[in-house]
Amino acid sequence: MITEKIIKLENTWKVYQLGKVELIALKNVNLDVNPGDFVTIMGASGSGKSTLLNIIGCLDSPTKGKVFLKGKDISLLSEDELSQLRGKTIGFVFQEFNLLPNLDALENVMMPMIFQGTPVEQRKKRAHDLLVSVGLGERIYHQPAELSGGERQRIAIARAFANDPELVIADEPTGNLDSTTGKKIMEILTDFHKREGKTIIVVTHDPHIAEYSEKIVDIKDGEITIDHKQEEGILWSK
Amino acid sequence: MEQINEYFKIALRNLRTRSLRSWLTILGIVIGIFLIISLLSLSQGVKEAINQQMEAMGGDMIMVMPGSEENIMGMMVGGEVLEKQDIAAVEKTKGVKDVLIMSYRGIVARYKEEAKMVFLTGLPWDESLELLERYQGWDLFDGEWPVSGKKEVAVGKQWAIDVFGTKVKVGQEITMKGRKFKIAGILNSLGNKSDDSNIYLDIGLYQDLTGEKKGSARVAMVMIEEGLTPDDVAEDIKKSLQKTRKRIAGENTTDFAVITSEKMIGVTNSILGIIQSAIVLFASIAILVGGIGITNTMFTSIRERTREIGTMKAIGAKNSAVLIIFLTEAGIIGLIGGAGGIILGIICAKIVELYTQSNPVFYFSISVSPSLVLFGLVFSVLTGCIAGFFPARKAARLKPVEALRRYE
Repeated sequence: MITEKIIKLENTWKVYQLGKVELIALKNVNLDVNPGDFVTIMGASGSGKSTLLNIIGCLDSPTKGKVFLKGKDISLLSEDELSQLRGKTIGFVFQEFNLLPNLDALENVMMPMIFQGTPVEQRKKRAHDLLVSVGLGERIYHQPAELSGGERQRIAIARAFANDPELVIADEPTGNLDSTTGKKIMEILTDFHKREGKTIIVVTHDPHIAEYSEKIVDIKDGEITIDHKQEEGILWSK
Repeated sequence: MEQINEYFKIALRNLRTRSLRSWLTILGIVIGIFLIISLLSLSQGVKEAINQQMEAMGGDMIMVMPGSEENIMGMMVGGEVLEKQDIAAVEKTKGVKDVLIMSYRGIVARYKEEAKMVFLTGLPWDESLELLERYQGWDLFDGEWPVSGKKEVAVGKQWAIDVFGTKVKVGQEITMKGRKFKIAGILNSLGNKSDDSNIYLDIGLYQDLTGEKKGSARVAMVMIEEGLTPDDVAEDIKKSLQKTRKRIAGENTTDFAVITSEKMIGVTNSILGIIQSAIVLFASIAILVGGIGITNTMFTSIRERTREIGTMKAIGAKNSAVLIIFLTEAGIIGLIGGAGGIILGIICAKIVELYTQSNPVFYFSISVSPSLVLFGLVFSVLTGCIAGFFPARKAARLKPVEALRRYE
């Protein structure tokens, strides 16, 4: 059976021009993400993993090579079409949460749906349900500043799932959290993966986080070094 | 449409969280709009009051005054007078039906314990009363017409209302320059508050009191024969006046202002028009400065919120959504500034109005037309949007990845 890849990177290069020096951030990367995958991208800082993530998330375009989002070559889309498609297909969870500080939890979760033009009633219900499912049912009218880091990240996760995207990308989602809270966050993400079959890509340099994953991609100096299904217990013991 | 409503709410929320800076920016617009509204409503009020007064004098009338036509203010308050022979020349001119002469000046009048600056008008009572009744609809509200030879005056209707703290009644006395005058009658309203707060007395008494030359007058109002064009008669009056002066005093170039009431309205309107244009020009500069303030605060805000913009774009905001949110913010700053300026402007104009009315030399009411208010609002919102356009476009064009990376 041929399934359409959610994300496909084909001979992708990303080169930054820093004055006269060329900095190669990604070197001929090929990567497939299938629907329902739980992928971890690992690498030290400076390895190019953030660049890779930006390209997978269609936030940045490659210097060379092609990126396909649900079979569509993104270089052929206009900026607005890409925004719209990204908003519908991909959810983001950032290391710094990146919530809008002036809006309360409910409004933050509704934001992506506003940009998609979801009707207000549906939007409210969905946002409310999502906040309940991440355990923040009591805090829906709180502003981000009134909440702890873990709670903020849970709002961000609820927001990432707002438009029912096929893919959620989490960039160091636990990087700013203590290990207990981080664990909880990973459980919520895994839960969405198991329950709703969502495709999840997590970027991390923390091997413990990678334990949740089924597929690990190691990146070093802009090149993918390992891309394999994690055999239980082989890489890291649980 | 529903989305725009949401963007509006987000913009409002953003403004509220940076409230001090928002208020300071709003203040910039408030000052400009305040200037426009207060000064325009005042000048418009003055214009209407003058027009009203002109109309009260009757349609086809010619005013003859000494002095140059170019200098209308000098004409009205200047010291020159029409001499006896000038008045005679006017009366003899062809087409002139009736001539009503009068003199006027400001004077301090005392009533009981109070003293106020009022306008004193001297008229040849015996001859002009009939003309005034006929052409200008004068009649008595209370009391009798003053009798010439006696120290009696008539006062306008406003005296019975609020010129002084205590209402003035017929039979009581007022003091001017230490002399006492009996109030013989109170006139019915003449149609405008300025005329209604005057004191009217015989021109002989007026000249005794003020020391002005006997037989002279400040102004002559000419009623013309029916069927004649006011402009033609005005031309004839001017010629005969100049001839008279040349014969008597040997002067060659004597200035007389001979103005039809129509022209008078035109002249005052054009003067006030110039004043109003100047007001709009200067206030626009103030608003321009306010607009630059908006641009500045928007740029600052966009720098501070680069990450937020990046986040919004990452979660699916189109360029247009970001543009609308920031434009709306700038527009709201303009709108609130405009509304504040309008309210302050009206309050200020009202205070000036009340103040001048307490010294009833010249009565006028401020004129705040709906179109002026609308103009103020539209102008301020437009300023906000124009000032916010470049910052908003800059925000909209940010690349999500760069915006997210900023400040990391």
